[in-house]
Amino acid sequence: MDRDTLSLKAYQSAFSDPQFLKTFLYSMFLAAMTILVSIALVVPTAYWIRLRLPQARRIVEFITLMPFVVPAIILVFGLIRIYSSPFEIPFTSIVLIQPLTNFKVGTNILIIGGYTVLGLPYMYRSVDTGMRTVDVRTLTEAAQSMGANWGTIITRIILPNVRTALLSGALLTFAIVVGEVVLASFLGIPAFGPYLFLLGQHRAYEPAALAFTTFLLTWAAMGIIQLITGGQSQAAGAH
Amino acid sequence: MAYLELNNISKVFGKTTAVEDFDLQVEKGELVSFLGPSGCGKTTTLRMVAGFEIPTGGTIAINGINVTNKAPNQRDVGMIFQSYALFPNLTVAGNVGFGLKIAKKPSDEIHKRVAEMLELIHMPEYGNRYPYQLSGGQQQRVALARALALSPDVLLLDEPLSALDAKIRVSLRAEIRSIQQELGITAIYVTHDQEEALSISDRIVVMYNGHIEQIGSPFQVYNFPETAFVASFIGTLNAFDAEVVDPQANTIRIGGIQLNTEESLQEHKIGDKVMIAIRPERLSFSSDLKKANLINSQIENITFLGSIVRVEVVIGDIHMFMDTFNNPFLELPKIGEKVEITCSRQAVIILNH
Repeated sequence: MDRDTLSLKAYQSAFSDPQFLKTFLYSMFLAAMTILVSIALVVPTAYWIRLRLPQARRIVEFITLMPFVVPAIILVFGLIRIYSSPFEIPFTSIVLIQPLTNFKVGTNILIIGGYTVLGLPYMYRSVDTGMRTVDVRTLTEAAQSMGANWGTIITRIILPNVRTALLSGALLTFAIVVGEVVLASFLGIPAFGPYLFLLGQHRAYEPAALAFTTFLLTWAAMGIIQLITGGQSQAAGAH
Repeated sequence: MAYLELNNISKVFGKTTAVEDFDLQVEKGELVSFLGPSGCGKTTTLRMVAGFEIPTGGTIAINGINVTNKAPNQRDVGMIFQSYALFPNLTVAGNVGFGLKIAKKPSDEIHKRVAEMLELIHMPEYGNRYPYQLSGGQQQRVALARALALSPDVLLLDEPLSALDAKIRVSLRAEIRSIQQELGITAIYVTHDQEEALSISDRIVVMYNGHIEQIGSPFQVYNFPETAFVASFIGTLNAFDAEVVDPQANTIRIGGIQLNTEESLQEHKIGDKVMIAIRPERLSFSSDLKKANLINSQIENITFLGSIVRVEVVIGDIHMFMDTFNNPFLELPKIGEKVEITCSRQAVIILNH
């Protein structure tokens, strides 16, 4: 690498490393799965709380904020401690589920679960705020009076009307997952975070090039959100 | 058998009774308004018809079918909300055709029906617009078209005009009534606006504290209120505690004056307390035409209200309002002047407490 020279060699070197693409795509996969699990968990929860259980809102908000007060290291050791032993039927030695840490799919399930927890504060807040801007209760009742069932109401009415919030939550979750190191390192997952961390240990320029690339990706994602949600923002503002 | 029957409906939320002993039969094609102040149970009753609340007691039947415990999406009921509740992600046509899509109607039929409905609300060219591109009145008309697209058995309107300005309210309520009559659809209309209820309804159900105070045509409810609440809630009213003087002659006394009423007081004894009411427009100056009851009074205040002039008179310690039509040549007495006012025997209404 040339010192005191402006060039794109650091980018060339970083991108030519096969580990870069492999770990980055792996993290993308984990991020996509985490976003899907988060949406499946958070949207019905936030919807039901707004619709039928407003008294549970404070408790759920408190639970979703736990990742801010409990460090990720505690989460990962908790996961390892619980899921590194087999699940047995009580008082028998019949194994129900093998230790999740012992096989790849199991470890992926664990890390997606962990990432879902880490992303909860962002995803829940985004979705809840999105639902506040549309009157979900009245929209639900309007749809019900026209014969719609719960599945139709959520997929055709609620989800499209909170898509801005979902995209915001998804972007934040994506950013957390792609750069996350602690969970991935301790669970032995070959993700982008640990790769970047290791690269930083013995290279000077490539980590900076990759960090800048991830910023570009974030900007691109934000631009896409603006493009997709332009109409909806206009709708929300027109009253 | 009536088309919509609410039999002895009640609804209790925790320790609060929202609706109690509600009995109502609505005929096909009739528009019945639920009128009452906030918290009187009118919206709760409407929501029970829609299926959003399950009654604690009683039954609801539409066209002879018991729907009391049916889910909202299994009742053939259209609903219009105060906040319009148009789906922001769908166009006007998408909103109007939503129910038809759910019912899996063929797309040709959906297009045809949506066009019909948009024609009905005089918005045929608005199909591709989104709700945020419409005014409040237009949004509520789209909500009406959406509710009617499925040809529901019963149309429910929950304070549909409350969020609109006064002029639009008047024109839209006439439009709603005209469409309802044109289609012959059975409708329940919830409002706290007495003028709206009086102008749009075949019958009015006046509610207070979760129960029915009176059911009747707008004419009956306004002119012959059965309870003190109905009399005070609908229109302006002079209400007084009176004492029976002569039950045979139907004579009562308020303060120092005696009045005769057309209503029978034969069940009362001399000295019984009754509540009476006189509408301000039933009083007039005796110089115009002398009627059965004559009252000597003094002018306390005169208020100009546009089409009418409201005169406040005082008789001893009793204050009474009298309305007279405005005209440019009207000669009104001066404040403090002594005048004789008059009303007929029919104008003196005996109220149940």
